[in-house]
Amino acid sequence: MQELGNRWTGKWINPLLRKELRQRMRSGRTILALSLYLFVIGAVAFVYMYVNVQGQTLILQPARTAELFTFLSYLQLALVSFVTPGIASGVISGERERQTLSVLLTTPLSPITIIFTKFISSISFLLLLIIMTLPLYSIVFLFGGVLPSQVLAVFGLQVVTLGAIAGISIFFSTLLRRTGWSTVFSYATVAILFMGFAIFGYLFDSVGLHSADESVWMHLAGICYALDPIYMQAGIETNLGLLSPSFNQSIVSSVFDVVNSHSLSGKESWLFFLAVYILIGVILLLISAWRLRPGSLTMVRKRVIRWMAH
Amino acid sequence: MIRVENLSKRYGKMTAVHSLNFDVRKGTVFGFVGENGAGKTTTLSILSTLMLPTSGRAYINGMEVTTEPGLVRRQIGFLPDEFGVYDDLSVREYLAFYGTAYGVEPALIDKRAAELLHLVNLEDRSEVLVNSLSRGMKQRLGLARSLMHDPPVLILDEPASGLDPRSRIEMREIIKGLREQGKTVLISSHILPELADMCDEIGIIQRGTLVACASVEVVNARVSGKRHFLLEVMSEGHRLAELLSRKSKVTEILKVDENKVEFIFAGSEADQVELIHELAMGGFQLKTFQELGGSLEELFLRLTAEEDAKAELIPKMA
Repeated sequence: MQELGNRWTGKWINPLLRKELRQRMRSGRTILALSLYLFVIGAVAFVYMYVNVQGQTLILQPARTAELFTFLSYLQLALVSFVTPGIASGVISGERERQTLSVLLTTPLSPITIIFTKFISSISFLLLLIIMTLPLYSIVFLFGGVLPSQVLAVFGLQVVTLGAIAGISIFFSTLLRRTGWSTVFSYATVAILFMGFAIFGYLFDSVGLHSADESVWMHLAGICYALDPIYMQAGIETNLGLLSPSFNQSIVSSVFDVVNSHSLSGKESWLFFLAVYILIGVILLLISAWRLRPGSLTMVRKRVIRWMAH
Repeated sequence: MIRVENLSKRYGKMTAVHSLNFDVRKGTVFGFVGENGAGKTTTLSILSTLMLPTSGRAYINGMEVTTEPGLVRRQIGFLPDEFGVYDDLSVREYLAFYGTAYGVEPALIDKRAAELLHLVNLEDRSEVLVNSLSRGMKQRLGLARSLMHDPPVLILDEPASGLDPRSRIEMREIIKGLREQGKTVLISSHILPELADMCDEIGIIQRGTLVACASVEVVNARVSGKRHFLLEVMSEGHRLAELLSRKSKVTEILKVDENKVEFIFAGSEADQVELIHELAMGGFQLKTFQELGGSLEELFLRLTAEEDAKAELIPKMA
């Protein structure tokens, strides 16, 4: 049976991916990370339900279920965004530090195969984290108020977000020699995506209020908010009718106001977010593959010198 | 099999390799000797497609390393001077991974891995995790890994560095066995007497320049004319040095103290016997009469010293 499995994977999965998956799933840290992740999400879900259901006769409350789903999906977005740089920011620099990269580069595996395999290997672990939480989300379905299609839409946004974060982390891992620095830069970029865009959006909004060209500033603020996964998830959840001011919490209300004032629940924003994040991820992975090629910088230097000579 | 033509590599203003030219014939072992920073690893990295040269060309089995790196990689097995292993894999899985990466038929991988583990004396370790192997074992496993796709050319960068004497001997015997199998081996090392034992030709590199390149027999013949001796006496070292300096076969006195004299002797073995007899008759109480260093080491030191002297002269002349 194992031989049959090996033959199948040997035929369909490239050897590097097979090795990566094998190594990752063999590690004790992986099991610990999976367990801890499930424990945190599960504990939060059960505590939330316990607090809300306690002392009430009516258990089936769709609005409350939507609230729980929104809460869980944000928790998941935060956890996955936190875990992704930790996993992806060492994939190439780690090979360099372990002194396995030079040997890998002398195999017929091309740099583009190596980079995209590392990306798929990182993403597959993160997808596993998300898929593992599905049974917990099924509790939400049990009480009603949320449709499976709504769950898939939110998960879709999260997958694109973590794909882009993985691309950014792999880019830093290829560019920088040390995993420590690569991790620092990856987390800094995640902070910019989640908080930087929100701050810039707020600043542009504030400037717009006192400016004659309010629409220009509002437009810029809208772009910033549309690039922030927090607001885009809020936009999708508003569109799906999951997020509403009835949550009666100031932070949710303020997010809801931004979503409405900048039309973030519309398809255009959603497509803009998808296009930018997918493009960033793909471009950074291609640059990483190019950078992994021996002599890539020498080639650039030669071209610059030739160009300057002309 | 390996051809290097005017190969140069510069890092900014620093020249790591300068106009290297050499050929390695098919089925021979070529030893690449040089001090740390002489340019050995840079040259081997270029040949292994890990680095681009600044100028010049290098060919492996007729394929140019910069324009056809993909084809070259299938022709070579590369063992870097420092390399890591994937700790979470077993020895067999480690070899299987590289075998698959090189496109070896899945049905042949286990057989090939078993043959190579036998070759490097690790057949009883096939199921243990790689991180449990000693350094010498990892080095042998690295060699087995570089042979998984049965390449005609092997590029080995200091394969014996950091190994204990027993592991060095084992590594040397394996490389000799590979030569018998018809592999072409380019090997760099600091351990010169070992290279003399297993190489057909050697190239000596100093400050990025090839200062000598010849067969081991030619090198030994060049060196045998001048040998480096140590004489230890109970006392009167300075009087001994004075006497030696008057002898026509003694070309240079290198070191003198009360009990020791080091000198270069250009005479035959008969001249050597005569000298010992003369010293004994002259009243010297001889403790030791010893030839120092291997012949290759002698040549290496002499050639590199000449190059150093030239390098020192250039700024003075300028």
